[in-house]
Amino acid sequence: MKNSSLWLLLQKMRVPFIVIVVTYTIAIAGLISLDGVMVDGKIYRMTIFDAFYFVTYTATTIGFGETPYAFSYPQRMWVSALLYITVIGCWFYGIGTLISILQDKLFISEIKKTTFRKKVRKIREDFFIILGYNNVTKKIVGKMLAQGFRVVVIEKNPERVNELILENYVSSVPVLEADIYDPKALELAGIKSKYCKGLVSLFENDNLNLKIAITAKILNSKIPLAIKSTTKHMTENLEDLGVEIIENPFEIISQQIQMLLTTPSLYKLTRWLHGMGDLRATTFHLPKGKYIICGYGRMGHEIKNVLEENNIDAVFIEMDATKKNTFSKKEQGEILFKDADDKDILLQAGVQDAVAIIAGSKDDTTNLSLLSIARKINPKIVTIGRENEIENQALFNYSNINYVFMPSRLLIYKTIVALIDPIVDRFISHAMEQDEAWAKELLEMLKANVGDNPLTFELFVDDQHALALTERIKRKESIKLETLTRSRANRDVFNPVVALLLLRKDELYLLPDMSEIILEYGDQILFASHRDAIEDIEYIAENIHELAYVLGEQN
Amino acid sequence: MNFDKLISGFFIILAMTLNFGFFYGDLSDINLHSKYELFAAIVINLIATTLKIGDKTQIGSVLLATSLVADIQLIAAATVWTIVYYTAGSLDVHVTSIIISLSGGALLANITSVILYLGETLKSKR
Repeated sequence: MKNSSLWLLLQKMRVPFIVIVVTYTIAIAGLISLDGVMVDGKIYRMTIFDAFYFVTYTATTIGFGETPYAFSYPQRMWVSALLYITVIGCWFYGIGTLISILQDKLFISEIKKTTFRKKVRKIREDFFIILGYNNVTKKIVGKMLAQGFRVVVIEKNPERVNELILENYVSSVPVLEADIYDPKALELAGIKSKYCKGLVSLFENDNLNLKIAITAKILNSKIPLAIKSTTKHMTENLEDLGVEIIENPFEIISQQIQMLLTTPSLYKLTRWLHGMGDLRATTFHLPKGKYIICGYGRMGHEIKNVLEENNIDAVFIEMDATKKNTFSKKEQGEILFKDADDKDILLQAGVQDAVAIIAGSKDDTTNLSLLSIARKINPKIVTIGRENEIENQALFNYSNINYVFMPSRLLIYKTIVALIDPIVDRFISHAMEQDEAWAKELLEMLKANVGDNPLTFELFVDDQHALALTERIKRKESIKLETLTRSRANRDVFNPVVALLLLRKDELYLLPDMSEIILEYGDQILFASHRDAIEDIEYIAENIHELAYVLGEQN
Repeated sequence: MNFDKLISGFFIILAMTLNFGFFYGDLSDINLHSKYELFAAIVINLIATTLKIGDKTQIGSVLLATSLVADIQLIAAATVWTIVYYTAGSLDVHVTSIIISLSGGALLANITSVILYLGETLKSKR
C-alpha cells in the first residue's frame, strides 16, 4: 500500500464513521419500535425501510416532512431527539473532522509527497537530482533544462520551494519539501530510477555533503554524484566513498590562478570547454612581482600554495584580527592582521610597490572597498576580486576590477560539464597535465581550422548511435577515424574537425591522429567542430548510404 | 490486554454470529428469517469494516477486503428485499432464496475474516 495519504484519511475518519453508523442505528431502531397512526385511525409501525428513508433525509437536513403518515406525538418526540443526535452529533462532527484532516499539515505533506512521487515516476527522460535550491543550484537547474535534461529538486525551506514553483520552468521541475539527507526523500526523488543520471549536492556544510554522499551511495552506487568539498580531508573521504565528481571551489580558484600565471592558453581552452567563453577572448595576464592577498581562509591557503610554487612573493592579510589565535606561531609571524582601517593595513602591506592585489574575503563589500583603495594608492596595480553573491554581479561589473572570479560560478559550470559531458571533463583533466606549448598549439589549430567558438560533440560508436559504422566494424572492415570527417557533399574534401579525445576500453588517446586510428566498437570520441561538420559526422555514422559514399563505394 | 483488539475482535465475531443467525433456517421460508436480525447484521458489519480501515499491513488489507465483501452481500440482500417488497407487495420463494443465499455468501466472508483474525492473534504468541 503506497498511497499513504488515503490511508491516513481513512484511519482518522474511523471514529466519525462509527459515530454515523451508531446514531443511524439508534434513530432507526427507535422509529420502527414506536406506534404510529394511519389516516383511518389504525395503528401501524414503520418498516425498516421507512425509518431508514426518514432518517436519511432528516439527518442530512433535507427534510421532506413526515412520511408515510403524519406522526403521532411519541414519534415526534423521538424525532426531535434524533434530529439533534444525527444532525449535530453525527454530520457536523463527521464533516468537521474531515475538514480538519484535509487541513492537517501531515496530511497535506503526504498528499504533496504522493504527487511528487507520481511526477518523478512519469519522467521518461534522463534527469538529475539537485539537493537544495539556492543561487548556485538555480543556475544549474536552468542550464540542465536548457540542455534538454529534466531536474528533480529536494529543498527543506518552504520559501525556497515556493520560489522554485514561481519560477515556472518550461518543463516541470518536481520539488519535494523534505530533509535533504533523508533516505526516503532521496528514494522518492527517484535515485533508484534508471533515468536518474546524477545527483548534485553543493552545500556550504561539508559534513552535510558527506552525509548525503554516504546515503546516496548506499541507495544506489551507480549514480554519479557531484559533491562539493572545501578541505583536503573531506575530498579524501569522498574519494574513498567512490564519489565521481568532487568539486572544491577553492582548489578550482587556485588552479585558475596557476593557469593564468603559467599556462594562459590552457586557461582559454578550459574556459571554452566549460562553456564560459570562446577562444578569442584575450586572456588576462597575471604579472610577476609582489602580491597582496586579503583574506587568509581556506582560499587564502590554496592561493598561497600556488604562489609559493611559482616563487612569487606575497603578503597575506587576515581580515579578521580576532582569528589571530587560530593560526600557528609561524603563520602569525608571516601574516598581517587587520587591526586598523583598510588604508593603513594596505600601506603596511606595501601596496605602493605591489604588482597585484587579490581581495578574496567572504564579504563582497570588503573586497570592493579594498580594491578601490588599493587602486587609489597605486593606480598601476592589477586588481583581482572575489565575488561571493551572484546578486552583486552588477556592482563588480561596474567597478573596473581587472579580474573577477566567483567560486560559485565556476562550480556551476564545472558541475554541469562533469555531469552532462563526462568525456569533456576527462579531456580537461588530461589537458591540465600538459604544458603551455601543447595548449597554445591546440588553441591555434582550433582557431585556424574551426573558428573562434567551436562546438564539442561526442560520438559513441555503438549500435544505438552509429549503426552504419558498427555494422562494418562487426564485418571486420577497418574504417579510419578520418572517414567521419569527410564532407557528405564532396568526399574528397575534409571538414574542419579536430578529434580531441578517444576513449577505448582502458586506453585513452589525447588528440588522436585521425589518419591512423582505426575505429573499434565501443569507442567514445570527442570532436570539436562547427555545426555542419558535426551533422555530417552524425549522418555518416548512422546512415549506411552516406557511409558508403564517403568510403567511395557509392555515388 | 489491548482494548482496541478487544473492540475489533468483538465486532468481527458479532458480525459473523448475527449473520449466521439470519442465515440459519429454511432457505425458502422468509418467516424463519428476521428482518431485524438482517438490519443488525448490516450495522455491525459496517462497524467492523470501519474498525479495519487504515491498517496498512498485508493481513489488515485482506481483513478489510473480506469485510467489504460481507457488507456488499448483506446490503444487496436488504436491497433486494426492500425493492421486491415495495414493488411486488410480497416475497415469493425465488426471491426469498436469493436473499438468504446472499446472506449465506456474506457469512462465508465473515467466517474467513474470523479465521484470519484468529490466525493473526495466534501468530502473535501471547
